[in-house]
Amino acid sequence: MLSRVAASFYWLSRYIERSDGILRMMKINYNSSQDAVREFTWEPVIRIYSGVDQELMRTLDNDSRSVLTYMVNDKSNPNSIINMITLARENARSVQEHITRDLWQCLNEYYHCVKDDGLVPRLQNEDPITALDTLIRQIMLYYGTAEVTMERGQGRSFMNIGKYLERSIQAVDLLDVKFGSVTDNPDLLTDTTYWKHLLQSIGGYELYLKTYRDGIEAQSVMELIILNTDFPRSVIYSVNNIHRYYERLKNESNLSSYRDIAFQIGKLQSYIQYSSAESIRQIGLHKFLTQIKHDLFAIGISLNEHYFANS
Amino acid sequence: MYKSAHFSEYNAVNGVWDEMYSDNSSIRDHYQRVIEYLSKESTDNLNKKEDLARRLFMTQGITFTVYNSGEGIEKIFPFDIIPRIITASEWNFVEKGIKQRLTALNLFLKDVYHNQFIIKDGIVPIDVIYSCPHFLREMYQVDVPHDIYVHIAGIDLIRDEHGAFYVLEDNLRTPSGVSYMLENREITKRLFPDLLPQCNVRSVTEYPTILYKNLLALSPRQISNPTIVLLSPGIYNSAYFEHTTLARLMGVELVEGRDLVVNNHKVYMKTTTGLQQVDVIYRRVDDEYLDPLVFNPTSVLGVAGLMSAYRKGNVAIVNAIGNGVADDKAIYSYVPDMIKYYLNEEPLLKNVPTYQLRNADEREFTFANINSMVVKKTNGSGGYGMLMGHAADEQEIEDYKKEILKDPRNFIAQPTISLSAAPCYIQGMLQPRRIDLRPYALCGPDGIEIVPGGLTRVALKEGSLVVNSSQGGGSKDTWVLA
Repeated sequence: MLSRVAASFYWLSRYIERSDGILRMMKINYNSSQDAVREFTWEPVIRIYSGVDQELMRTLDNDSRSVLTYMVNDKSNPNSIINMITLARENARSVQEHITRDLWQCLNEYYHCVKDDGLVPRLQNEDPITALDTLIRQIMLYYGTAEVTMERGQGRSFMNIGKYLERSIQAVDLLDVKFGSVTDNPDLLTDTTYWKHLLQSIGGYELYLKTYRDGIEAQSVMELIILNTDFPRSVIYSVNNIHRYYERLKNESNLSSYRDIAFQIGKLQSYIQYSSAESIRQIGLHKFLTQIKHDLFAIGISLNEHYFANS
Repeated sequence: MYKSAHFSEYNAVNGVWDEMYSDNSSIRDHYQRVIEYLSKESTDNLNKKEDLARRLFMTQGITFTVYNSGEGIEKIFPFDIIPRIITASEWNFVEKGIKQRLTALNLFLKDVYHNQFIIKDGIVPIDVIYSCPHFLREMYQVDVPHDIYVHIAGIDLIRDEHGAFYVLEDNLRTPSGVSYMLENREITKRLFPDLLPQCNVRSVTEYPTILYKNLLALSPRQISNPTIVLLSPGIYNSAYFEHTTLARLMGVELVEGRDLVVNNHKVYMKTTTGLQQVDVIYRRVDDEYLDPLVFNPTSVLGVAGLMSAYRKGNVAIVNAIGNGVADDKAIYSYVPDMIKYYLNEEPLLKNVPTYQLRNADEREFTFANINSMVVKKTNGSGGYGMLMGHAADEQEIEDYKKEILKDPRNFIAQPTISLSAAPCYIQGMLQPRRIDLRPYALCGPDGIEIVPGGLTRVALKEGSLVVNSSQGGGSKDTWVLA
């Protein structure tokens, strides 16, 4: 497979996965802004996807509708949905003959959905959840179509590596920001609504209720999001899948490149696998997450060098 | 006459060959069945079909991008739902004519880049050839596989008021539009179920298979599985959709210049497992941009060193480099002479009379009759830089004349040929619009094959004679009957 094609597959799914994460986060946060007893703040969300920018915070003024428009439709925001889908589509366009026609049409529809002139008015004047749901639905269609139609080859492996790498980075970022806020405001630690929203925005609330019977506690939330192997958005689940799809590239790889990255993935996998809620507490969550993030980025860089011919 | 509303208004244009009507009242035999089918459909239904066609093009991403103020706007190539129909006997004639013409043009290219007998025998003047910017000295004495230069030709044909076929242009470099021939047919299948088999329409689906077979035969390495690639300028090229379609249909790799590298006069592509040698390149990048070491040094679309690999015979390039000398508009007028010279045959397809403005007497004649002339640049394309004498005003003509006098070699003039007209479905009614025809001829070691069909372009503006997509043209499905 051409290096450029492999890179496009990888970035295509990173962008799609990121847009998925953003949309779900928006939906839950909007929802919680509606029943916030205390002052609700969009600040963590903006911090995850746009970094710390005081100027931006002032302009958006914690207004739900402006934040939604900024995150969905603002071209000056590199992580806005419109920019994500445009980039995803450009990557898909350059590998059009490698993806199925169904998948291409799916992406195209998603793109036209975001470009639809009616979207912004709906976000601003109507129920934004309906608008966000139509977009989330497009992504689910995309994942379903990819699952059903894509050939089980190298291309799909690169797609899935990109998808799970992006997903694990998002989970790590989310935890880091949410637990970071606790340091500034210790009251949050016992605020069950706070943790409930965190679980909901990553889609783990129901699983949490089934797994932990004694109410919502920060420590258990952290455990679920990092260490639960059955939770499809946990860090360990994603890293296991990076490992799984990377192994499939073995026969089509240059052996020394393969070993190099396989070593990095294996090491990260073991590091998380052989951690427990207790050991993470001892190291310090922030330090632990920073290490994981560093390793995930290193894997991305190595893929770039060894497979995508960009050294 | 049929009574449906959408047929009542059709008025064939006087003095123009109409593909559907033999005179103002009777429909030609080969259009009978289609018209019968259409007359049973309500206007409402036809509007729905038109809408369906537009949606199919859009969701399948069959679009071209127009760049305006930094933002790409995607447009669909307008599609008219009424097919253009060509009878078996018309097609036989066209097929023979194109084969003859293409055979001569291939011989001409071989000759002009080797012994140049045609110049020595005084058939084509030496200055016309050497002043052509597409005549590449880099190709002199380069042998190409099987002596084929033009592997793919999209020769544009038009019909005069008597229905005779004329060649308007020989597109021998990187002719485009074939994906529309294929896609238009697919759309027609959806729009008019069962109509194609009822009418005995010949299939066009063989095109990618034949092209692939020809590309395979060109591989310089005698191996069972040579690497064939389609070289595209990338996703921002307006024909990118076509590049992906062809790559997909042939199952070959679509590459960009940055995917290729030349080492020791061999071409390789960068893959996830390392470098892989490339044997055949079907390029959709113009000569000028192919190799920055030899041609335009600022080009990033090509591959440094490609020309040296080509000269060594380590890679086959389709179409050959330097073909522009054969489809230059100043050399066009010598094609009938070439056919006589190389093949000792009378040309079947006519040439449009062409005046060379570098000759003083022909230039004076053109200036005197400019209202009935079309003046074109010899190396222009896409309908840009043309002067349509009958439609231009005094000032435009004066300006254009000045332009011509600066460099007369770059201009030719042709009498305005009134293109034939075919029925189009416009605003709920059938209306005549002018059309041309571009069949795609494929030339391989086994000979020339032409898929029965082609691209019919149509000038959608009433009365317009310009069919180029950049100038408000559209296209139609093209049926060749068995």
